[in-house]
Amino acid sequence: MLSKVKTMSLEGLNGYLVEIQSDVTGGLPSFDIVGLPDMRVKEAKERVRAAIKNCGVEFPSRKILVNLAPADKKKEGTFFDLPIAVGILYAIEEIKDAENFENTCFLGELSLDGTINKINGVLPMCIEAVNLGIKRVIIPKANCKEAEIIHGLEIIPVEDLDEVIEYLRGDYEIQTIIGNNKFVLNNNGSNNLNFSEVKGQETAKRALEIAASGSHNCLLIRKPRFWKDYAF
Amino acid sequence: MLSERLTTILPDLTFNEALEITKIHSIAGELDNNTGLITTRPFRRPHHTSSPVSIIGGGRIPKPGEISLAHFGVLFLDEIPEFKKSTLEVLRGPLEDRQVTISRVTSTLTYPSNFVLIASMNPCPCGYYGTDDNKCNCSEQAIAKYMGQISGPLLDRIDLHIEVKPVEYRKISSDEKTETSEEIKQRVNNARNIQLERYKGLNIYSNSELTPALTNKFCKLDSNSKELLKKAFERLGLSGRAYGRILKVARTIADLDNSENIQQVHIAEAIQYRSLDRKYWKH
Repeated sequence: MLSKVKTMSLEGLNGYLVEIQSDVTGGLPSFDIVGLPDMRVKEAKERVRAAIKNCGVEFPSRKILVNLAPADKKKEGTFFDLPIAVGILYAIEEIKDAENFENTCFLGELSLDGTINKINGVLPMCIEAVNLGIKRVIIPKANCKEAEIIHGLEIIPVEDLDEVIEYLRGDYEIQTIIGNNKFVLNNNGSNNLNFSEVKGQETAKRALEIAASGSHNCLLIRKPRFWKDYAF
Repeated sequence: MLSERLTTILPDLTFNEALEITKIHSIAGELDNNTGLITTRPFRRPHHTSSPVSIIGGGRIPKPGEISLAHFGVLFLDEIPEFKKSTLEVLRGPLEDRQVTISRVTSTLTYPSNFVLIASMNPCPCGYYGTDDNKCNCSEQAIAKYMGQISGPLLDRIDLHIEVKPVEYRKISSDEKTETSEEIKQRVNNARNIQLERYKGLNIYSNSELTPALTNKFCKLDSNSKELLKKAFERLGLSGRAYGRILKVARTIADLDNSENIQQVHIAEAIQYRSLDRKYWKH
């Protein structure tokens, strides 16, 4: 059977939508990923296989083909592990009729035991997901904080593949976190330094004040003691 | 000593700035599990052995470099002449464009890099050049090579050049109250708010980001100031780029002064910060 799972990828600082299409059919057992995957995406095969097996689901001994659409863009990163695993589980009907599945985006890296690890780039990818009208994301718990910045986003933080399967089957409830963008933006460096400890140096302090105010670049030349001003 | 304390007086972030910083740090994998939005301006301090790629970003698995991680914050290069020349020269483009474009066979990536460059250096490799007792043991060539690490074009992109003199004993030992970071920050925040208000809708946050057309619009001079700038321009042999940068610095000084127009004193102070390169560099 064929399944389609939504996920995101990164291009520079922006995310874009990737659809993971998994087809599981009869034939000689094999597992292929197409759609310009890089080494890290290709290695997902081994992680997904082990993670599914270690969650107590038998990995299908059939011909599996996974396509990452759009197929002409290079895919990099380890965050495709979770959506690929979910796609295969959907294709072999281990998960059926999950609620609101088309409107959910999956991101996460799998460990061999099914644990879901922290990934990079969650914030830009979730921002783009919201722009595209995808309201719900299933992401690693460790990345939850950064996604919470996005106003109105429904976040399902997950820790292992087992949890995801149970959740999608409707057997398990996970507290949804709704993002909000209320923050205090005061920038008081947490270090204990203070300009009051610097005696003298009024010119330098003034220059740094100007640099900070208008974002100007600044070069400080340290003069040694007993400097002769006519040296040049 | 001074530069580390710069973080304590940087202006507060706007939400859009904070969001963009967090995005870059998210991609670079530099966020820890407990931080949501980054609410302090970054302060990056790469070591002088850093490679060009680690500074501008890219690599086989593309990642933002130090200049992008310092976006809307500070990139501090301590002992700048000790950096490899190739590492320093890659900064030229990003210092002007405020973004960096990395082209690879399969894709082209653009990362923003709107940072404040703070650099520090000694006047010669041993640090004693110009002292009374001739303690300096560097050869002429060694000094020329040392200063030559910072090329003219790079120097031109640095708006403020200042000498840091050793503190006199009388000042170290005195109990005289010095200004705290909080007091300075208050002035900085005021000046920044004036800028944010003035550049509303232009998608820029500070004076240094003004394009030439906007510089003409917002940095108008009276005739006295023009005369002063003309004289300085001829005497110091300034470049066109330096001219624009002096105007922008003068605009900031005027903002700190809460003055709507740039006055002669503001221009004079801005010029004063540009006179050192003629003293140390014999271009």
